[in-house]
Amino acid sequence: MTNALFTIPGFAEGRLIGLLLLILIFVLAINFMGQAKLPYIRRVPALDAIEDAVGRSTEMGKPVVCSYGCGGFDYWTIAGLSILGYVAKICAETDTRLIVPTGGSSDSYIVREAAVDLVRNAYTAAGKPEAFNEDDMPFLSGEQYAYTPGYVGILVREKPGTTIMTGSHWSEAMNIAEMANGVDSITITAGCYTSNMAALACASDYIMLGEEQPAAGAYLSRDPAQMASIRVQDIYKFIAIGTILVGLIAVNLGSDIINRLLST
Amino acid sequence: MTVLIVSFLLVFVPYFIPWGPLDWLSGKLMTIAAVTNAFTIVIAVYSQFRRSGRFINERRKGWVYHIYLLALLAIMTLSGFIFGQHVGVYEWLLLAVVTPLSSVIYGILAFYMSSAGARAFRARSPQAALLLVAGFVVLMYQAPLTGAFFPGIEGMATYLTDTFGMSVSRMFSISVSIGAIVLGVRMLTGKEVAFLGFGEGDE
Amino acid sequence: MNRMADEGGIYKKMATYDKRWVYLALFVIVLYSLIRPIGMPIGISAQTKAYKAELDTLQEGDIVFDTWNMEFSGYMELKPGVLATHQMFIEKGVKLCIAFGHYEGVALPTEVFKQLRTWLDDYDYTEGEDYVIIGYVFPNEAAVAALAGDFHSNVRVDWKGQSIEGTFLDEIQNAGDFDMISDYTTGLATTFIIRHIVLEYDTPMVVNSIGVSVPGHLANLDAGLITALLASTRGGAELEYLINSPGPGLKSMDAFTFGHYSLIIFIIIGNIGHYGWTRRSEYKDRTGIR
Repeated sequence: MTNALFTIPGFAEGRLIGLLLLILIFVLAINFMGQAKLPYIRRVPALDAIEDAVGRSTEMGKPVVCSYGCGGFDYWTIAGLSILGYVAKICAETDTRLIVPTGGSSDSYIVREAAVDLVRNAYTAAGKPEAFNEDDMPFLSGEQYAYTPGYVGILVREKPGTTIMTGSHWSEAMNIAEMANGVDSITITAGCYTSNMAALACASDYIMLGEEQPAAGAYLSRDPAQMASIRVQDIYKFIAIGTILVGLIAVNLGSDIINRLLST
Repeated sequence: MTVLIVSFLLVFVPYFIPWGPLDWLSGKLMTIAAVTNAFTIVIAVYSQFRRSGRFINERRKGWVYHIYLLALLAIMTLSGFIFGQHVGVYEWLLLAVVTPLSSVIYGILAFYMSSAGARAFRARSPQAALLLVAGFVVLMYQAPLTGAFFPGIEGMATYLTDTFGMSVSRMFSISVSIGAIVLGVRMLTGKEVAFLGFGEGDE
Repeated sequence: MNRMADEGGIYKKMATYDKRWVYLALFVIVLYSLIRPIGMPIGISAQTKAYKAELDTLQEGDIVFDTWNMEFSGYMELKPGVLATHQMFIEKGVKLCIAFGHYEGVALPTEVFKQLRTWLDDYDYTEGEDYVIIGYVFPNEAAVAALAGDFHSNVRVDWKGQSIEGTFLDEIQNAGDFDMISDYTTGLATTFIIRHIVLEYDTPMVVNSIGVSVPGHLANLDAGLITALLASTRGGAELEYLINSPGPGLKSMDAFTFGHYSLIIFIIIGNIGHYGWTRRSEYKDRTGIR
């Protein structure tokens, strides 16, 4: 382990910089969440693809399948729910049938209730509460590999015009994306794990890579909290890039000051 | 929200300021959380029975499968409790039914990845051609025979995975970690209440 | 040649083949290679050599925290590495504390120790004396953190309900008392173990991971959080070779090789078709030149 620059005995030994960075996150997040003017987030290209794809499904008279992931209330699921709300709104306005397979993990029980409320509210807001059908949001299983064939079965039977997979999908994402491709559905996915992204990029027609998904979710929801998250992450990415560059220069000049600073 | 904030502080503070009693309290809290989490299984089973019961009563689409589900749920639960997890029906169901089924779904991935890769790796543009070359090198390295006859392939493939691949992983780790922390801030400040079971406008 | 391209012909077939041919070819090739392996040579990667070197640092009596963060489906991929690693542990006389990160782990020891029966008998490696299975103790991160901080408050009995008092686990107060963590993962509790055990107590950790998770673990390996990484079935096969104990890994390497090569061949076929037909068609559509 590299020697720290200095230590304060009994207080965040070896973790002081981590503590300061955490406090900075808190300050920045609370600051941006409280601002009246929302931070700027560019429109993610996949959102245009979602609108076009749902439009195509409407013209062909085929349903849209949209899932928000298998995880619990984590970072990706919240983004997935925002996108689901948007898709539900478009489907409600265009009278397109929306199917939302739910499940996939033991944490998915909790999220399902929020998803059902979200879709119901979208239909109510579009003035078509009677069009909402909870049977089109089947809970397939709390087990990932039981959820997968259930989802694939829905794709094969219903032959959707569009399949949108957002949120946190794990190894089943490949199964589902490839099968969606097999039933000639436009496949729009979001890769949230390094292991998944490469495979999904091959199988999907459009993909939101990593951070594009939460950014899309924040853009659609216009929720100040979500937009503040994206802004804070961007700031930290710049801090990380700056630290890496300074560290590179320092190491090449024979100094380990950045290593020692980060170990403080 | 008060419980959330106190729990957060009880785990957060001892991480930076080690103090015996606080460490002990933090450990106990995490133990309580682990045990409470286990009890959610009971709630999940109850919810499933309720939901399936409703499906069966109303003869909704697929109601027969719900009978099957409840029967298996009961058999596995009771056999596990009565005979134990390491003998009899429970272990047989796990080894003879659950295992092959989940293994098949996992194994099918290989076919899907192959067909997706064969379809996607087309040199449609200079960038796609570059990706194709990189993918070709890594695929060749992954075939064990290649390394036996062309030892240099390991250097080429590990260069690609250790530079480009790792930098992407690192970038993701940083972004996702920050996102998770900010999600925590949103929860602590009451901006994200859905996980507590409240919808918009609920108290 | 031009007429063939104009009509499509063989190039069109190569560009637009049905993916079911890929499935069929892969199935036949892999199945045949598994039934009749040729025994082709394999290259041994530096990563696997480093993994074996790390395990070689263990001494008799060292206590290893053996975390099985895998379901049965993941075990199918990790099996060669799991068996080879445990052979090394048994031969070295290392004590194992086996914990599961998935409920399916309950059935895994039966399967694993059935394969290791010969080593268990030869080295008189017995449950309770040399290894203790504490069961499914990692349902979530809080459980990992709790167990790491105070082992005996959170684990009092083994997976069969027998007390662990009087076993070698009496020496373990917290996770820092383990000499090594040996993790077999499909991506379950590994991150939690790194956060709450490795970062907290600096316990060396070796990981046997499924192939798709390897890129993620490489960053941890490079950062020194993981001391060694064994990648998927292939890494397990290489380890079997290094310890001179051929097993399911080495038997499947022919299938591995042929499977990869057949995929490469399909990619080449697709690209020939792409250049011979798809690009020409797009050019004709764009320029109107027939």
